[in-house]
Amino acid sequence: MSVFVCLLKKELRACFYSPIAYVVMFFFWALMGVNFIWLLSQLAAGESLTLSTQLMFSGPILTFAMPFVVPLITMRLFAEERKLGTLEALLTTSVRVPELVLSKFVGAVVFYCALLLPTIIYVYILKQLCPATINDFPDGGSLWSGAAGMLFVGALYVAVGVFMSSLTSNQIIAAIGGFALIFGSLVGTAFMAYMAQSPGLRIMGQYYSSFAHMMDFSRGVLDSRIIVMYLTHTAWFIFATVKIVESKRA
Amino acid sequence: MIKVSGVTKKYPARLAVDNVSFEVGRGEIVGFLGPNGAGKTTTMRMLTGYLPMNSGTIEVAGFDIATQAREVRSRVGYLPESCPLYPEMRVDEYLKFRASLKGVKSSARRAKINEVKEQCGLTEVGKRIIGQLSKGYRQRVGLADSLVHDPDLLVLDEPTVGLDPYQIRQVRELITQLAERHTILLSTHILQEVEAICERILIINEGKIVASDTEENLHRQLQACSIIEIEIMADKETATREVSALEGMDVRNASELADGWLWLEIEADSASMRVELFNLAVAEGWPLRELSEQQHSLEDTFVQITRDKGAKS
Repeated sequence: MSVFVCLLKKELRACFYSPIAYVVMFFFWALMGVNFIWLLSQLAAGESLTLSTQLMFSGPILTFAMPFVVPLITMRLFAEERKLGTLEALLTTSVRVPELVLSKFVGAVVFYCALLLPTIIYVYILKQLCPATINDFPDGGSLWSGAAGMLFVGALYVAVGVFMSSLTSNQIIAAIGGFALIFGSLVGTAFMAYMAQSPGLRIMGQYYSSFAHMMDFSRGVLDSRIIVMYLTHTAWFIFATVKIVESKRA
Repeated sequence: MIKVSGVTKKYPARLAVDNVSFEVGRGEIVGFLGPNGAGKTTTMRMLTGYLPMNSGTIEVAGFDIATQAREVRSRVGYLPESCPLYPEMRVDEYLKFRASLKGVKSSARRAKINEVKEQCGLTEVGKRIIGQLSKGYRQRVGLADSLVHDPDLLVLDEPTVGLDPYQIRQVRELITQLAERHTILLSTHILQEVEAICERILIINEGKIVASDTEENLHRQLQACSIIEIEIMADKETATREVSALEGMDVRNASELADGWLWLEIEADSASMRVELFNLAVAEGWPLRELSEQQHSLEDTFVQITRDKGAKS
């Protein structure tokens, strides 16, 4: 356990020391700001208040920013260790590979959560703007389920990014690979879910589309099938990363 | 301390280490020599449990690397080839991180880190960022890291590569000091390094151990015949003829020096035949200003061993 904590601390330190983290933060927060302005303008134009959490969590700006942002966080994780040769130094101590992979995964998820912190400010602003006659706005339940959705989707994206990073010693390749996989599946499944002619494809798309899932999460729908899917897929990518790191050494 | 028996490692395209066996006793300093690509790094990576082998067994301090890798790793201090470090960390920070990974108890950590910093001459640079240190200092940080958990065995993969001569000397001195307390296996392709530090030499070539002995014994093996050099004032052809006429002697090389003297390189059955050469010079009335046995350098030995065995295989 202490080894894990030590590795996690190092990951977080490395993450928050790297300039790329702040570049990512700057752009993502700027996009979040744009998203919030768009949300306000929609509400001002007469959109229903109940839609506000959906606009906040599953607006197109954030949905399509994530496939860019997450690989930028994760590209460094294993690719850099391989490039510097520090992976060899790590794996010749008592560190176990699953500990190492988990520490990197958790570190990246923590940073991802830090990226979402401004949401708290936006919720506060919404509450202040809301007329006193309306109770419980924005709806607490859908806020929490939206946040949970962001966490589930984000964790899966991070796991994909970590996996891609473990395959190469080149950060650019890791980033582009992660982006291709996440963006490709996001767009592909969204097309299947909403545009496909065949009903079978449509249903499959709806099962797999993060876009559709985020719509549900931010409406306050917590579907256990979807949650299980996210958890198992995340676990699978972590497991695959462990296997890659164990086998790909030379 | 180390017992390697019948270890083979195959990479997809080639056989990196071929049925290698050797032993290193407790307290020994062994130099692991070989041309680039001979399999030194691969062998060391298997020793430290980083790479799995295809066949054979490795025991370190009585533990089998295949089944008790963690036991082995906690007893081995390893400095990989390129001395990998995190450039964004400070020296103290890095050593603390490594010490906790290696299971140094938190109560003993600070004292241990201070001890290795002092040993490696890093006391002054504890607060500096590793990326801003010179190569020599970085190498020392790597060494300090390999020492921080007080390992029985130190495995150092080319510890002086890329350093300037002054830094090389410093690192060498450090390693010699460390030898008092640790068993050391040191790989290098710099021969002076082995001559300066090691008690015993292992030579590996094309994945096979081709020699394992002390430096003196290796020389002796090669000195089936002696090479004698002589400088005389004489006619080249006469001298060559007369010398070759002596029993057990053969002129390998002859050249007239710029100042008119004649230099001969003679292959003789033994070095004691110098007396006969002297007598010949006296009898012929050749003035003589040099008569010596050529010393084999480790470099000659190395080149000869790796070439001979390479040609045979």
